[in-house]
This record gives sequence, C-alpha cells and structure tokens, in this order.
Amino acid sequence: MNRTASRIFALLFGVLAVTLPFFAGDYPLQVARNIMMYMALAITWDMLLRSGQISFGIAGLFGIGAYAAILSVVRAGMPAWFSILFAAIFAGGVAFVIGFLILRLRAMYFSIVTLALGEIFRIIIHNLHDFTGGPEGVVIQKGVVFGGKANSLYWLVLAGLAVAVAASTWFEKSKIHFALTAIRNNEVSAKSSGIDIFRWLLLAFVVTSAIQGLLGGIFVQSYGFATPDAVFSADFTLLPLAMALLGGVYSTTGPIFGAVLLGLVSEWLKLKIPYGHLVVYGIIIVVVILFMPQGLRQLVRRTPHGADGRSA
Amino acid sequence: MIVKRRVAIIAALSIAAMTALIVWKPTVLIYGLQAAGLYAAVAIPMGLVLGIVHIVNLAHGECMMLAAYAAYFGCKALGMDPLVAILPTAIVTAIFGWVVFQLTIRRALKAPELNQLILTFGLAIAFSQAINLIFTSQTYKMPLEYVSASMDIGDISFGVWSFVFVAVAIIFAYGLTFFLTKTMTGKAAVAVGQNPRGAAIVGIDVYRTYGLVFALALALVGAMGALFLTKSAIFPGVGSPFTMKSFCLIAMAGIGNIPGILGASVLLGVAENFLRAFRPTRDWAEIVFFVLIIVVILARSLKGRKS
Repeated sequence: MNRTASRIFALLFGVLAVTLPFFAGDYPLQVARNIMMYMALAITWDMLLRSGQISFGIAGLFGIGAYAAILSVVRAGMPAWFSILFAAIFAGGVAFVIGFLILRLRAMYFSIVTLALGEIFRIIIHNLHDFTGGPEGVVIQKGVVFGGKANSLYWLVLAGLAVAVAASTWFEKSKIHFALTAIRNNEVSAKSSGIDIFRWLLLAFVVTSAIQGLLGGIFVQSYGFATPDAVFSADFTLLPLAMALLGGVYSTTGPIFGAVLLGLVSEWLKLKIPYGHLVVYGIIIVVVILFMPQGLRQLVRRTPHGADGRSA
Repeated sequence: MIVKRRVAIIAALSIAAMTALIVWKPTVLIYGLQAAGLYAAVAIPMGLVLGIVHIVNLAHGECMMLAAYAAYFGCKALGMDPLVAILPTAIVTAIFGWVVFQLTIRRALKAPELNQLILTFGLAIAFSQAINLIFTSQTYKMPLEYVSASMDIGDISFGVWSFVFVAVAIIFAYGLTFFLTKTMTGKAAVAVGQNPRGAAIVGIDVYRTYGLVFALALALVGAMGALFLTKSAIFPGVGSPFTMKSFCLIAMAGIGNIPGILGASVLLGVAENFLRAFRPTRDWAEIVFFVLIIVVILARSLKGRKS
C-alpha cells in the first residue's frame, strides 16, 4: 500500500518535472530550478545522514564546486559542460583528502568541523584575489553552457537532480544501505559484523561531496558568475537541512517531498516578506525536531500502520 | 609531576612569547588581550551549559544578540546607559532562557545528540531571522562618550575601554568556579553534570537544575549583550561568529574546564591580532580561528585514540 503510493507519487513527480518546460513560463521554470537545486542538495545531505553523520558543510563543498567550474572555464579555457564534470571530480577529490582527517570524528565534533571547513574554503577564495577575483568574484564572459537558454538550463538542473536521486537510490537498494544503517545504529556492533566503518563513511562522504560539487558547477554555469558570498551562502546549508528534516530523513522521497513543500512556501514568503522570511525555516526545524522527528513521512506512514494494527 | 613540568614549560614559553611581543609590537598584545576578554566572557556561559547540561547551544551567540537588541531598545525607551541596563537585561534573558529551556531543549534532552544539535541550530536561525524580520538588517549603535577613552604609553596610544571585557571574563570565570564549588546549588549542578542518574538518586531535581544552569548561563550572556552594546554596532548576524568562537575555546580548554577558557582565548585573541598587524596577512586573520578549531579537535581526537 505504502509502496504503491510512493511509486505513484514518484511517477507523478517525474512526469511533472519532465513536462514542465513545455507549458510553464519563465518564472515558474526559474522557481522549479531553484527548488530542484535545493532538493538535490537535501538528498545528498540525507545520504550522509544515513550513516549518522550530520554535515553542516554543504555550502562549503557546493562553493568549491562552483569555483572549480568557473575558474576552469575562465582561467584554463575548459569547455562549459566539461567544467561541470570537473567541479564534481574536484569536490570529490577535496572530500577524499579531508575525509581521511575528519571522518574519524564523531557527532558534534564532525558537524562543527564541517562548518569550519566551509568557512575556511570561503575565506581562502575570498583572499586569493589574483586567482579567484576576491570578493567581487568572477564572471564568465563567453562560453556559458547552452548560451544561457532557460529551457536548456532547466534540463541541466534536472540532470543534476537525477544524478542525486540515482545515487540515493543506489545507496538505498545496495548493501551500502545496510552498512550505513548499521554504523548509524551502533558502531561497535557494526564493526564486529565485519563492516569497515571508515571505508563506508569515506565512500558516502566522497559521493555526496562530488554531487554537491556538481550542483555547484551547474549553479555557477547557469548564472554565469560566482562571488564568495553568493556560492558559499549559508542558505545552501540551511535550506536543504530544513527540507530533508521536514520531509523525513533516511529516505529519498522525504527530502523530495520536503523540498517541494518548503520551496513553494518560501517562494511565496519571499514575495510577501523580503526581510527575514527565513525565520520560517528556523521554526520548522525546531518544530519538526521536537514533535515529529521522522518528518512528514511519519504522518503518511503512521496512518495506514495504525489502521492495520487495529483491524488485526 | 610530569604534567606539572609540561604546564611549567608551556607557561614559560608563553611568557617568553608575550615579552617578545611587548617589545616588538605592543599594540598586538593589547588588542589581543582585549579581544580575548570579549571572547572568553561570551564563551564561559556556553562552557557552563556544555559542562553541565551537555548541550552544544548553537544559538548561544544569537542569545547575546537578542540581549543586545533588548538592551538597546530598553535604553532608547528609558533614556538610560547600557551599563545601567546590564542587570535588567540579565534578568530578562534569564527568564527567557528558562522559558526556552522548558519549551524546547528539555524535550530534546533524551533524544540523540544529533537532534539536539539540529534543534539549537534551528533556534539560532529562528532568533536571528526573527530580529531580521522585525528590525531589518539595519545596524544600531549607541553613541557613548566614555568608550573612546584612550591612553598613551611612550609613543603608542590605544583604547582602554575594552579592558572592561577582560575584567568581566575574569569575574565570570572565578565567580562561576566559586558558585560551582562553594554553594549548595552549584555543587548540585556539578553533581548533575557528572552523573544525572546518581544525582537524581540522592534527591536532586535534575531538570530543575538543568533549567537553572541554562537560565544562569543566559543571564551572563545577557549581561554581556548589554556590555557588548557599549562597544559595537548591532545587527541580526552579530552574534553568530561568537557561537563558533566560543565552541572553539571550550574545545581547546576541555569541556568543564572554565578557567581554562581564559588561557585559550588569549591564544586566539593574540594570534588574530598578530596577523591583523601586518598588511599582507591582514585578510587572513579571520581564518586563524577556523584552522585552530580544526587542529584542536583533531589533536584531541588523536590523543583520545592513543590513551
């Protein structure tokens, strides 16, 4: 029952996502692109969360990818579409190196260090004036991907989202799922069952970081410029986190659901309240953590279960 | 014995480094100490909460920001000086802290640590964005005469007002140590921090103690908020750097070691101002603390692994 419902939901969502450019105008497309971007980030955040590690460094890796893409085009003359791949590889490589250091940390220490790393990346980019353009950032003069056409850019973001969904599904369906869940539940028992904890964490960290870098590359290519404040914005950490929590963590559908809901709400609020509409995100995080730690999925899931329980 | 020798060596080295600094760049040391006082005074209440309630309050800096806004508008309405507002602000934020604790944090105490982390993260966003919503991102500043007081020694001139932060940090550190070791309530709080279950068995109301400690920490932060207002302009994001800095200092000192925060903050403050003193490295001063936090945490985790 539940499974068919979520399949129908997934199918409807997929059809809508693919057909949207054929009937929607520029503004809805722009909104959809934003939502899909955050949705993909929310999924990657959730993928790492499945191992019990909370990352506050999404913005850091996103920004690294964004700068890798734009600098490889501007400074090295790389073709636009290849620079996006390069962004993913670069962010993945960075994650691989720092993973050796920080994946031995647990709980709040891991979270705080990811937050600090994001800031370090931002400051480095900010201060290397000659190479990165400093606080003013860099602009792509020519060679933006697809010449900046709205429809093509929509497909590009959708492709990024598809990568995230595919990776998340792979994590869910393969034995990675069992490894990560075991690590989350109890590391000692996971280890005694023969799980190489560090290796699985490294895999999850590198894959999620590479996708975050890829999305950074797509973001920067679709806008044609990057400044430290724009691509390392705290929004890229905060919004995905709130979306995944609201929809329900440890799944692919949860973050998708949360992103659609929260994305539409925030777009509406942005028009109504220009300052401080993010307060809604803070309140949502608090309320969700306190009253429904499983997110909205909990509501969807509990109803049929409760009914079954009574009838049986 | 070995520990004592190491402490002595570290003390001797730092005294030597300080003397060298005084001779070479006296302003680095002066401004470094002033910054250290501010960092420590903000970090100490967070250290109290972390040591006893075992919660990383990621909304800590935002609480100071709220207190500063409260003090600002209180002062505007009643025409008083921020220094007079210290006590009322502390009382108001203590009550606020008690309410926040009962409404949110108390319910998450039994949840996994990660939930608590996300909860306080959410509180931080809610606080800063609520202020952003009400007062927009405009900055507010109190025009005050006495904060620009300066002093000349030889051919250098420097502001002296910020030394008040140093004094406050020392008062906080030793006042809290006195409270925790000499008073009945303080001893009960330490007992709860060490072993909540054991404390409950001997008849201590654990949740009441947690609430009390949280309210006390917020009272100190509130006092700091009013004091901060004398020196600095306030805006919604003014508090958030202090959260990370405070956590860094606590991690350096070791959780539960409140006087140790003083030493850690001197290191951070002087290092930042040292980089700021030279033109080519000025922009990199900001990074010192982030690097320091990572180094400290990694070093601690490696040390823990060995023992």
